[in-house]
Amino acid sequence: MPIGMYFALSAVLFSIGLAGVLVRRNVIVLFMCVELMLNAVNLTLAGAARMWGGPDGHVFVFFVIVVAAAEVVVGLALVVNIFFRRGTLDVDVPTLLKR
Amino acid sequence: MPPLAQASDVAQAVAGTNVAEVILFIGFGLLAVGTAVAVVTMRNVVHAALMLVVNLLSIAGLYLALQASFLSIVQVIVYAGAIVVLFLFVIMLLGVQRDDSLVDVDRRHVAGAVVGGLLLAGLLVAGFVGTYTTAASRCGDQATLTADDFRAGRVGCVGLDHLSSAAAEPTDGSSPDPAQGPMTGAEFLGERLFTRHTFTFEAAGLLLVVATIGALVLGKRHDTDPADDPAYEPAYEPPLLDDFDDFDDFDDDRLDGDVDGPGADAMLVELPGEDA
Repeated sequence: MPIGMYFALSAVLFSIGLAGVLVRRNVIVLFMCVELMLNAVNLTLAGAARMWGGPDGHVFVFFVIVVAAAEVVVGLALVVNIFFRRGTLDVDVPTLLKR
Repeated sequence: MPPLAQASDVAQAVAGTNVAEVILFIGFGLLAVGTAVAVVTMRNVVHAALMLVVNLLSIAGLYLALQASFLSIVQVIVYAGAIVVLFLFVIMLLGVQRDDSLVDVDRRHVAGAVVGGLLLAGLLVAGFVGTYTTAASRCGDQATLTADDFRAGRVGCVGLDHLSSAAAEPTDGSSPDPAQGPMTGAEFLGERLFTRHTFTFEAAGLLLVVATIGALVLGKRHDTDPADDPAYEPAYEPPLLDDFDDFDDFDDDRLDGDVDGPGADAMLVELPGEDA
């Protein structure tokens, strides 16, 4: 399989995730769309690692997964806090920094 | 290159590859794109999370097609097994009825996002197709690769599993040490992770510890005064004294500071033996 097909697929997945981040307002769905984008980039990295023949791309993917896990843990804790304070999951509602 | 010639070039390159990989790619690729669209468009958050599970699993399948078996396993364990469970747990904690609907989203935003996403996808795909889809960038012809090719850098387009076994072969042409055996992909990856990328590995460990402590601090229940929050709107205002028309109706207990319930004296428990 030409490796460009994997790149094209991950470009499509990344764009879907980006459109989701722009459209949706529920903060949990927003996080899921960010995960979609991270996975698309991971797929590109794994494809490039196969194309250039080396394990470094796989190591990079490994670290991206670690950072994604940490990001989700902290982000969801923030989401829970915001929900208990504001009573909503809508990202347009908290505008504290706009004042 | 005209698009038609480009398309035939891509088709030729695809036709030359191993059938199993093409089937894996097409199957898991379609599944991944379909479930990604479902994650974005599902109105129920729980359904979106379940679609995300399928999406992550299909990406694990694509890793298998790329001969990255270790990544595939890590993807299933960490993403589908831990991160999505965390998502579902938070959804359960906050209640599923409170999902937003796509209905009240501004139509201009939707149109802008769709156009922007299509534009970005088109540009990226146009950049990749042609450059990386010729027969030269086709993968799957690793059977002829030797250890010398590996050392000379002629290792175009090989999977990690084959690369590691090629790397394990000795240079001097002698037969490989049977006790050692060929390295698997995970072993090769681990060796590289703990030699060249040790510092990054330590930094990732530190990041995980900091994230854990941060989540604990954020999840702690703070007993701060809610009135400090500028957005705080009290649900219940205690009535002022002026609001009462007839002062005689007013319960004396309120003046003692005891708002609801009998006077403070009635709350006292008589201890046995106090009279004696």
